[in-house]
Amino acid sequence: MSATVLERLERLPRRNLTVLAIKGISTLVPGGWRNLTSPAELIGDVMGSDDPELIQQVRARADELSRARHEGYRRALSLYDAVNRSQKAAGGLRVLANVAGALPLVKRVASLSPASETLQAVDLSLKVAAEMLAFTQVNGLPGDSFADFAASLNDYAGEARVRMAAMVCFDALLPLGDQALHRLDGLLGQVGSRQLHQVPAYAGMASLLPGRGDAAHLGFLRRGVDHWLGWADGFIGELGLSGQRAVRALEGTLGPWQGGMEQLATFLDAFTDTYAHTGVQAVARRLVERAAAEI
Amino acid sequence: MSRTLRWGIGLLLVAGLLLGAFLFLPFRSWLPGGTVGDVAKREVVNGTQFNRLFPTPQPGEQLVFTQEKRGFSQARLKRGEEVRALLSISDVITAPASLGKFQHSSDMLQNWPLVDQGSQASALLVADRFQVKVIGQGSGLDATQRHELLGAFNLPALAALNPSLQPAAGVRGRKALPAGQGEVVRPAQPQRQPQRQPVLEPAA
Repeated sequence: MSATVLERLERLPRRNLTVLAIKGISTLVPGGWRNLTSPAELIGDVMGSDDPELIQQVRARADELSRARHEGYRRALSLYDAVNRSQKAAGGLRVLANVAGALPLVKRVASLSPASETLQAVDLSLKVAAEMLAFTQVNGLPGDSFADFAASLNDYAGEARVRMAAMVCFDALLPLGDQALHRLDGLLGQVGSRQLHQVPAYAGMASLLPGRGDAAHLGFLRRGVDHWLGWADGFIGELGLSGQRAVRALEGTLGPWQGGMEQLATFLDAFTDTYAHTGVQAVARRLVERAAAEI
Repeated sequence: MSRTLRWGIGLLLVAGLLLGAFLFLPFRSWLPGGTVGDVAKREVVNGTQFNRLFPTPQPGEQLVFTQEKRGFSQARLKRGEEVRALLSISDVITAPASLGKFQHSSDMLQNWPLVDQGSQASALLVADRFQVKVIGQGSGLDATQRHELLGAFNLPALAALNPSLQPAAGVRGRKALPAGQGEVVRPAQPQRQPQRQPVLEPAA
């Protein structure tokens, strides 16, 4: 059997490229970010107590909850994993294309690999959709009315500010430029089912997206992004995010970067797991909050 | 080909097919372990029914629902941006171990047993079926504040949700019949498959 959520949390890296990239971005977000990878510390944080017996009880309950298939905690993680794998595969291809582009003999290969902005837009929309699906898997549909649900979603987004900032910077502002959000809808409009199938994450997520067929899925992705854009626009304005600021923030932890923003985005796609890393932490927190209430 | 060899290959094939069917076909939802504590979902009270029983927030405070599953509902009590407490109601049928702590408790709140867990959590057991819990967050809450919050839940309505107390007509009627005749005869109804709606579904 695969690992429980808290085991996944324990196995997260303490210090590597992913952690440094998130640390860099978190300097743009008030409140900052701490790389919390110890279940005991997380439980102590939620319970406001460091009694080892209580922590043990919460941990046992959390493991029981995450082993139950209908509870959706692990399904949320598998969504994050699917998106992460796809991002790495696509990023790796683009790195290869960049390298190959410099070698005269294999230049033709480089022109074949997809690196277009539409694909980047599809990738972002899949991430947004995965985020919403994972939210319903982890939290259900909280509250009795749509207003309650929207409040809950906003609350979650507020809690995951660093995660959202990483998504906005790495997947929108760096690869697509500062006008990314305004261009996104137009870019998604050009996407056909061929491009959709070129993104590896789509194959993994297709069965989880509502509706049947590529057209319905594209419609869902566009609506999801539309909803998200309204929120992300405010978020960018509030924090004053831009490609330049993101690069400077990243340089603070990763070291100087001489290439363009697009290359930086490709590099981050290929070599970091920011999306899955913060995803595991977010799911683990919600799981522990429930387990603490049920023991 | 010798007879034993043929039998051997045949058996191997059958075993392989069975194993394959077990591993790859969607039997997993029939296997145990799908639900928490292997309690069937229909036996657990749905979290939707708990939502309206949460306390109404004081002026300046805000109640944001964060999780709702079968047998569980949770909300955050916020003042501005600061989270003051996690409020939750859960059905203990999936967590029988949680009942143990109430057995030795001498404290009572509205006649239900009350227990403090650690320095920030207080739990109340209502109708031997539902656990109501307040966990202080951030700067924390003292015991009196937590107990006040527990008392602000709609506890009588929560107790009334207990399935064993509800006047379920079918169950009562069945009990009155002699053994062996308890099955209620129902007119045959066409099985209607619930249509899958293209909306996001909660996990539980």
